[in-house]
Amino acid sequence: MKIAVCIKRVPDQDVRFKIAAGGKAVDEAGLKFDMSDFDGYAAEVAIQLTEKAGAGEVTVVSVGPDAVQETLRKALSMGAHRAVQLKHDTPVHDGYAIASALAAELKEGAYDLILTGRMAVDTQNRSVGAQLAELLDRPYIGAITKLDVEGGMVKARRELEGAFELVECTLPAVLSIDEGIARARYPSLKGIMAAKKKPMDVRPAQLGAQRYTLESLELPPERTGGRIIGEGPDAVPELVRLLKEEAKIL
Amino acid sequence: MSNSNNTFAFAESCLGNIRRASLEAVTAARQVADQTGGQVHAMIAGAPGIGQHAAKLAAHGADVVIVLEHAGFTHYNPEALAATIAARITSGYGAAFFAASAQGHDLVARSAAKLGVPYASDVTEFSIAGDTATVKHPGYTNKVIQTFSLKATPAIISLRAGAVLPKESAKAGTIETITSVIDPSSVRVKVTATEVSGGAKLDLGEAPVIISGGRGLKEAANFKLVEDLAAAFGNAAVGATRAVTDDGWRPHSDQIGQTGRLVSPDLYVACGISGAIQHLAGMRTAKTIVAINKDREAPIFKVADYGIVGDVLQVLPVLTDAVKKAKSG
Amino acid sequence: MHIVFALVVVAAFGLFAWNAWRLILELRMGRLDDSRWSDVGARLGNLLSIGIFQKKIFRDSVAGPMHAAIFWGFCVLTAGTIEFLVAGVFPSFSFAKVLPGVLYRFYTINQDVWGALVLLAVSFALFRRITKRVKRLMGAETHPNDPLLILSWIGALMITMFGDQAMAMVANPEPGIGLLRPISAVIAALSSVVVSPSAALTLERLFWVSHGLLVLSFLNYLPYSKHLHVVVSLPNVYLSNTSGPGQVGVMSAMDLEGDLEVFGAKDVEQLSWKSLLDGFACTECGRCTSVCPANITGKPLSPRKIMVNVRERLEEKSAAAGIGLIGRSAGGTAVTTAGATTARALLDTYITEDELWACTSCRACVTECPVSIDQLSVINELRRNLVLGESRFPEEILPAFESMEQKGSPWAFDPADRAKWADGMDIPTMAELHGRGEKPDVLYWVGCMGSFDDRAKKTTVAFAKIMKAAGVRFAILAQEEKCHGDPARRMGNEYLYQMLAKDAVGVLNTYAVTKVVTACPHCFHQMGNEFPQWGGHFDVIHHSTFIEELLAAGKVPLRADLHEPVSKFTYHDSCYLGRYNEVYDAPREALKRALPVMELVEMPRSRDRGMCCGAGGGRMFMEEHVAEGGKRINAERAEEALATGATTIAVACPFCMTMLADSVKARDADVTVLDIAEVVAGRLAV
Repeated sequence: MKIAVCIKRVPDQDVRFKIAAGGKAVDEAGLKFDMSDFDGYAAEVAIQLTEKAGAGEVTVVSVGPDAVQETLRKALSMGAHRAVQLKHDTPVHDGYAIASALAAELKEGAYDLILTGRMAVDTQNRSVGAQLAELLDRPYIGAITKLDVEGGMVKARRELEGAFELVECTLPAVLSIDEGIARARYPSLKGIMAAKKKPMDVRPAQLGAQRYTLESLELPPERTGGRIIGEGPDAVPELVRLLKEEAKIL
Repeated sequence: MSNSNNTFAFAESCLGNIRRASLEAVTAARQVADQTGGQVHAMIAGAPGIGQHAAKLAAHGADVVIVLEHAGFTHYNPEALAATIAARITSGYGAAFFAASAQGHDLVARSAAKLGVPYASDVTEFSIAGDTATVKHPGYTNKVIQTFSLKATPAIISLRAGAVLPKESAKAGTIETITSVIDPSSVRVKVTATEVSGGAKLDLGEAPVIISGGRGLKEAANFKLVEDLAAAFGNAAVGATRAVTDDGWRPHSDQIGQTGRLVSPDLYVACGISGAIQHLAGMRTAKTIVAINKDREAPIFKVADYGIVGDVLQVLPVLTDAVKKAKSG
Repeated sequence: MHIVFALVVVAAFGLFAWNAWRLILELRMGRLDDSRWSDVGARLGNLLSIGIFQKKIFRDSVAGPMHAAIFWGFCVLTAGTIEFLVAGVFPSFSFAKVLPGVLYRFYTINQDVWGALVLLAVSFALFRRITKRVKRLMGAETHPNDPLLILSWIGALMITMFGDQAMAMVANPEPGIGLLRPISAVIAALSSVVVSPSAALTLERLFWVSHGLLVLSFLNYLPYSKHLHVVVSLPNVYLSNTSGPGQVGVMSAMDLEGDLEVFGAKDVEQLSWKSLLDGFACTECGRCTSVCPANITGKPLSPRKIMVNVRERLEEKSAAAGIGLIGRSAGGTAVTTAGATTARALLDTYITEDELWACTSCRACVTECPVSIDQLSVINELRRNLVLGESRFPEEILPAFESMEQKGSPWAFDPADRAKWADGMDIPTMAELHGRGEKPDVLYWVGCMGSFDDRAKKTTVAFAKIMKAAGVRFAILAQEEKCHGDPARRMGNEYLYQMLAKDAVGVLNTYAVTKVVTACPHCFHQMGNEFPQWGGHFDVIHHSTFIEELLAAGKVPLRADLHEPVSKFTYHDSCYLGRYNEVYDAPREALKRALPVMELVEMPRSRDRGMCCGAGGGRMFMEEHVAEGGKRINAERAEEALATGATTIAVACPFCMTMLADSVKARDADVTVLDIAEVVAGRLAV
């Protein structure tokens, strides 16, 4: 089975971001970058499928500047077999353009499966997987939380509002992976060493026109914490009011 | 019949019920149409009978309600739906609105791709001027607000829940019945079963609300209070601290923290939890944190958005009743 | 007769020599370790104190004297055995001919006296093994019949020795011989009542032959028994790690650049030959296991089993390779095909993952071992293989690894918050001082717990206050401080560790730091003892020592409350401060100086016998799975602390703090757990 996994390099999310001068990017000083969480799950799923079959090849693809090679290497160290960087040096936010570049790369190569993460944790658009499937005219299942691939059939569970659906389709297909199926493995040192020798192709990204562009970034009002609203059961009405009106959760 | 001053809205439904998100999409479309002087065409799709909701869409500003009824649309059928929507939008709209729901995310991406355009995803604010839509969309785990400009026709936008509040603005709501451009029953991805969640226990990773208990509950039996509050929310899962799972009050799978599950729900209610480093590491990224603890100095209050100092055993029943009331009212 | 005896002696020694050579070949299957030959002085010192004077043996007040009697008896009786063997071949030989009379009498009297002591000790040992179920001598991995056989064998050696001597006296009474061998003489006197001189002559021959055969067969039985210990223990003590406090616990630096086939150790070949020798030296006395906090609380780990397994696997593997002991090569230990041996390995076949992850790296086993076996280095090497080679570890460690790599702390906190505790305290950062061209007296390395954990932050603040009150010019690194990777190293992730350690050393060297103080024993150990591997040579001091020195110098202004009620304290030794670095007195002295009226009570297990809190070796980041009948390590320790009746448990480590405070809280005890710094800061004159 030939599997392609589309991955994205994103900053670690567990920090307070700052906006860089110019207001069009987050300040990258001190930020650590890694594979987007969901892409990690997708890569793990792909690797497990080939391990289970004892055959097959996993290709990881990423659009971006040379820095994405580090992220591609990480996927290789997890066990992917080869990597392709679709080189583009400036940030791309147009999901359709990214999907187009990926489609241009992945339309050849006879991939049985193309996997993406449910979304990139930085831009949070959830757009590339489905658009890629449309551009390639392949069956698509999004936000998969359970997956079984056997005998040319995909059986999956996908999440919809308030319900889960069990769906199936035949290969080749495009799937986007949600959390819950597999946690990205921690690369062994053996894997890291092996990854250094695996092939990494670099090609220009065929993005086409970019029609969705970032204008500016701003920070939401800072979360304060430490707000004690009252004591004992008497404070409950105030809590409920705040949950309704301020947090908009109730 | 169509022109580019018109605005399209997709009215999402689930198992025959119209969703609040539909009304938000129609309301947003109405705002744009009022600006351009065009019409709002709202489309609803489902099993035969779904058209009954047309009046509600009209009440929120739909000039035309496009009704697509077929047994093949009982379940979400993205292939037939996206093809039909794309075919419809091609006939000429300046803008199109979808809900940024689980279905909506999927549907909007497919429809836009079929039309060969990018779209603005999960938008909290928008404005359209000429051929440019300017939108705001939170990114970076909602810690940074991004402003994008979308230069594509039509301007396709998916709206985050609550971005636009449904507003009544009665229009004719002329019904136009259409058929699917492809046979809804001969699609490539087949639904074999549907599990409605809510009955089954919600997974900690999936639940939008987590009610979590610690040693402050005094004994295992008191977790009933935590479960009651979770039940009152309806969409909540129950978590626990390491101390509690270590003592066997709850199974290890319920543990939230460094050595358990790392979660970021929309709401996290910490009941009788002091907030040891081990626990904070697992939940401090929750969007809203509520803490109930009798020790005013407990570290949990430093990360809590709303804190109540008091005996969790007294506060919980009152809170459960209040939440029940808020949910039903 | 003498020629036959000579042939038998030559054959027996030949066989022994051949097997001894086989054992050396087996050891050579292990990894090279050249560090064992230098430092002869210290090695001889260990040989004397730990070996000859049985220093560690005496840590057990019952078994100690018993074993010492047998050991010293063996040393003395070996002289007699030499005389016996030589005289067997050359009947006219006797030490009497080469030794002056006084010395000869000293020799013979000692033979008799020690022979009797050994017989007594062996009888007691047999009695103890058979009638008393001594817990530490039991365990699935032990060979319980072997000691019974060996003890009986030694007993028989003594009986035949006395029999031979006594019968010789009966057969051929010589005046004055009773002064040479008083005990034999008494036996002779008693037995002469029933034994005629001619019968005695026959009996003497019988005893003589039996003794000879027992000596030679005993010698050749040893290599096949755990009692190889008799031969290997002294060399093992001599070759043990001599690097001294601090250095002794340093983990070896792996060369990660080289093209390693196997990371860490999966099987015996990847262990150092010294670890294999440790396997030979182990006689399954179980002292290690009896002090292992994991074992005590019902976890699957037994350090003794680790060593027994090393030996068993080596026997299996060497037999398969055709270099095993005579009689073992043909599949002695269930080895049938080559395939079976390759699929088997020390890791998994013998030692399971769960055993390895149960270790807290507290060094209690290493400290306790009477023959200086290093169980911990085997555990560490196997952990390295699990993590680096196979990425196999309890899943709950993953966030710690990822967070160390991404955020420079095992907990996923925002690095920007690292110095939040110092808000409003007016503490300069190294960068600020550097910018002004200044240098502090000392860099305060706060550590991740001290920076992010709310409880530990109180210690951090307390210590900073003490330094300020004492006028110490110190600075912090703030956001430039990142985990040095010690938890990663202890959990087997040498790759992540080296990345972090090199970064940290780089930062410290940029500021030309010379002196560092830290309140975390893990930081203290890592930075002081292991950073030199990466070019980081700093004078690192633990805050307990630092505070003690400030107090001793009278630099800390304390309140002079004369009516302070007497409070009862107990102090819990941190493993990385205590056993790793032998800092036992400073924290205790600091307490006494700060609270002159305090009563300090010691727990039964304290100082180098101190029991781990359960957090070391990365256990802090793992789940503790408590088996039926077992308990949590911190519960065991907290109960011990509470049993002293102390109202305050003092600690000097943020990890110990968490573990003990958690457990004390769970017991609803009205006892506070305080760091040394908090105790002292509480006494500061405002």
